Amino acid sequence: MASASATYEIKSEHGEVINTSTGLSNKKLLMWAFLGSDVMFFGSFIATFLVYRNRSLVGPYPADILDIPITSVSTFVLLMSSLAMVLALSYVQEGRKKLGTLWIFAVVVLGAIFLLFQVYEFNHFAKVGLTPRTNLFGTTFFILTGLHGAHVTLGVLWLMFLGFGSIKGTLRADNAIDLELAGLYWHFVDIVWIVIFTVIYLISARDVAPPGSVPWVPGAH
Amino acid sequence: MSNFLNKILYHDGRGWWDLPRTQWQEPNPKMEGPLGDGIAPIKRIWEITTAANLHHGTPAFYVLIGAILSIITIVEVWAFAWLFLGDLLVPLMLVLSLGKFVLVVGFFMHLKFDRKYYAWIFTACMVIGIGIFVALLLLLNYGGQVQQ
Amino acid sequence: MQTTHPGVGSEPISMRFPRIFPRPKSDYGIWSWISTVDHKRIGTLYAVTSFLWFLVGGIEALIMRLQLSQADNTLVDPELFNQLFTMHGTTMVFLVVMPLSAAFFNWLVPLQIGARDVAFPRLNALSYWIFLFGSLFLNFSWFVGDAPNGGWFGYAPNSHLAFNPTHGMTYWVIGLNILGIASIAAGLNFIVTILNMRAPGMTLTKMPVFTWMTFVTSVLIVLALPVLTVALIQLQVDRLYGTHFYNTAAGGDPVLWQHVFWLFGHPEVYILILPAMGIVSEILPVFSRKPLFGYTFLVFAGVAIGFMGWFVWSHHMFTVGLGPAANSAFAISTMAIAIPTGVKIFNWIGTMWGGSVRFSTAMLFAISFIAMFTIGGLSGVMHASVPTDAQQQDTYFVVAHFHYVLFGGAIMAIFGGIYFWWPKATGYMLSEGWGKANWLLMLIGFNLQFAPQHWLGLDGMPRRVFTYAENMGWENTNMYASAGGFLMAFGVLLFLINVFYSARKRVPAGDDPWDGRTLEWSIASPPPHYNFEKIPNVEHRDDWWFTKHPELIAEYYHDEHEGELRAPSGAQFDDDVEDEHHDEHTSDHHGDDDHGHGIHLPDMSYYPFILALGLTIVGAGLMTIIPVIIIGVVILLWGLIGWSMEPVNDPVPEGASHGH
Ligand code: HEM
Ligand SMILES: [Cu+2]
Repeated sequence: MASASATYEIKSEHGEVINTSTGLSNKKLLMWAFLGSDVMFFGSFIATFLVYRNRSLVGPYPADILDIPITSVSTFVLLMSSLAMVLALSYVQEGRKKLGTLWIFAVVVLGAIFLLFQVYEFNHFAKVGLTPRTNLFGTTFFILTGLHGAHVTLGVLWLMFLGFGSIKGTLRADNAIDLELAGLYWHFVDIVWIVIFTVIYLISARDVAPPGSVPWVPGAH
Repeated sequence: MSNFLNKILYHDGRGWWDLPRTQWQEPNPKMEGPLGDGIAPIKRIWEITTAANLHHGTPAFYVLIGAILSIITIVEVWAFAWLFLGDLLVPLMLVLSLGKFVLVVGFFMHLKFDRKYYAWIFTACMVIGIGIFVALLLLLNYGGQVQQ
Repeated sequence: MQTTHPGVGSEPISMRFPRIFPRPKSDYGIWSWISTVDHKRIGTLYAVTSFLWFLVGGIEALIMRLQLSQADNTLVDPELFNQLFTMHGTTMVFLVVMPLSAAFFNWLVPLQIGARDVAFPRLNALSYWIFLFGSLFLNFSWFVGDAPNGGWFGYAPNSHLAFNPTHGMTYWVIGLNILGIASIAAGLNFIVTILNMRAPGMTLTKMPVFTWMTFVTSVLIVLALPVLTVALIQLQVDRLYGTHFYNTAAGGDPVLWQHVFWLFGHPEVYILILPAMGIVSEILPVFSRKPLFGYTFLVFAGVAIGFMGWFVWSHHMFTVGLGPAANSAFAISTMAIAIPTGVKIFNWIGTMWGGSVRFSTAMLFAISFIAMFTIGGLSGVMHASVPTDAQQQDTYFVVAHFHYVLFGGAIMAIFGGIYFWWPKATGYMLSEGWGKANWLLMLIGFNLQFAPQHWLGLDGMPRRVFTYAENMGWENTNMYASAGGFLMAFGVLLFLINVFYSARKRVPAGDDPWDGRTLEWSIASPPPHYNFEKIPNVEHRDDWWFTKHPELIAEYYHDEHEGELRAPSGAQFDDDVEDEHHDEHTSDHHGDDDHGHGIHLPDMSYYPFILALGLTIVGAGLMTIIPVIIIGVVILLWGLIGWSMEPVNDPVPEGASHGH
């Protein structure tokens, strides 16, 4: 075995030498692998939703209750939070502290607004008569969107932590990787919502009572 | 034959549609493509939004992507509410949200700019995930018709 | 011998956080184990813990065997019998084979790839503690009177509240979810470690096969465990909060549970067997004094198994009535997966072929792995055929099949691995005499127990029955099986005796007792904290062996590797590798004193322990005890915040020049 002097250096995007076999940062690799794992997590829940689509025995059914305009707005909010996220990262990487901090907190605020929409929606559904215990639609809907909401909450807390770090000056261009990880997580949560919005809302929103089950009468629960 | 194809489709061995500015590729040759300078206006937008020699987009570029995402979302909702597409609804929605998905993953998550490794990892997971869940749905006889 | 660093606290994200404990730094005593992040110590923790669970699971099995040894026996009642087989299966799969494999991952992967630790040492410790607490939580159910009783695959709605009102299955879902987190964290960690921490020159195709199999297993863990998590969450919310995922009265579909469980379940069986295959692939070449036959094929077959394993799950559901198209598709894919498996078997045989084979205990275990695993694989292919499986499903034939692959396969290989790497880990040898007795008893006992079960199954004896009638003609065969069970248990006892006997004798092993091939044999036994004084530079597959026998290089390599680029790596704890011309294998580095080498090891930490504790308490609180959840969340947050504010483990010392 010869000495290791024959190695060559790999530089990361920002010029620092990454001493790993692949030249990839450990943390980022971890994050991507974790996201791959989360794909399976949400994939299973979405598959469950689709399997149980049109199988509820009692109402309310999606057509009775889903409100596309409101959800479109919250979807838009989440999309814009993703945009804010990528801007925040880009400014932090450039070392522009003020702008970076600003956009990080923009993400936090937009994420919180999304969560408020969700809380409103859940409350509203519960009032109208759809809870996780009502029927299969309620069960699959609430658990899937609820777990997504939990992911969003986690992301909001994480970004808040980083936002304060940015104010204090502990999050800087040289360790922007920490923000990048949070960003990857955040965008992932966003694409999960893209899929959920399509599957639950756009595709299923016109589902009425399947043949053989009882149509739903509002207020009769 | 392949040479001929290359001549039509590629410029110096690269597709004209191949996006420039990843650190791991040399910058693309001047964009010409089959349309010649017909796409010059688009080209200009592209050049403005992605300043040369960057490993990631500029803020302007991200805003552009954000705008495209919003437009797709609006189109989706519009198509859902005002076009009564019947059986076409599902495929259309899938295609549109696939577009959004790719934009976010590719640009916001930097997969397009980053090392290919990450893209492989994520794609591999998606392939396995989509493969088994589609198989699962087929097995459970999901295909639009309602189960009793 | 933890190195302490002057630069602690100089890293950017280290805001002040009120610290209750001083930072841990002791080398011995219980606190040093609780706060350790050393992959070797964590490996030992995994090994000891899961071996204890192995004994527990074994006792559960012996009670069942006692009950079944006679017709119409009344030793245990049906209730208890249900709990016994459920906990036996769950224990053996999740608390024994998986964590025992994890023990090997921890001990060996960094040593085999020439690294000083795993990529995320604290995460590694976290995995272990979560595993420990999760396993305790699961088994706590014995003490509250109702252990899980729905089978290791927990079929819903049988496991649903409506049919299963006791707490047992709630413990099961929550416990397995906690364990799942541990596995996923460990899987992620090893993926990154193997990709990123390799020594210079160790390209993927030069990695030892065990490391390769660890990689494939980790990928499977990371992708399969979330699916189980989802199934468990669904069952959990059903049981606790009255949702309807598997409530048949509201339209819930029992077949969905089966699908989701086996979507996880089949990849899981490969999670159990691939590490064993890796272990055997390390033992065989060493004791045949030959390189592995068909390395590329072997690795590729492992990857192929890992991929194909995703598309065979419905072979566990042939009798559900999925329809001929689905059944045929899965029959074909199941038979197809036997091909890469067969490739491996031939590779192992080819490795021994023409070698000068030494029959040490490790080798004997490895060879019996091949034989037993082949038998299990063949019975697997038998019930890959749909009509045949209709006869065999839920009979003792299936029990025989999976014990041949799991005990004859995984456990045999793991025991072989223990005998093989024990000298490396401890510095002294296990007695070969006791070892061979151990091997013989286990092999005979195993076959005596499980071979007759093929006949029992074909004769129609269903699995999971607590007893059978006298006139069925199953008594003799069951009697043999029970005798075999106790013989096996005796074999395990011999192993324990061997451990204590050898610990008393302490025959020193030296660094390389077997003439090993991979990097772990190039360092001292037991390895120093920092593993490698100099990160080795790898040029060949089986690099250490060719370093010892340079004359053989020409024979095996035809200069095809000349001019290959060498990947840099692993050297992130490493300052001075770049400018030293130093032959690192002159074994002049046995001193334990690493001060002055400038080697930086990750700092110890209490937070993994605290975090894991909090997580488990939250899990326990999910059994609708709100105050417990609150306590758990508080501890969890404490761990989390402390963790993220703790000065990052690898501080840059003054004067260090490597790039950051
Ligand atoms: C040649 C490769 C293999 C084939 C073709 C195969 C095939 C099968 C089939 C068809 C079944 C379902 C039998 C039934 O329930 O009627 C089965 C069950 C099982 N197999 Fe395999 N198998 C193979 C290898 C393995 C390996 C390597 C393991 C584990 C290390 C394993 C573990 C199991 C287990 C645990 C069960 C029973 C699950 C249960 O019902 O509780 N198999 N196998
Ligand atoms: Cu299987």
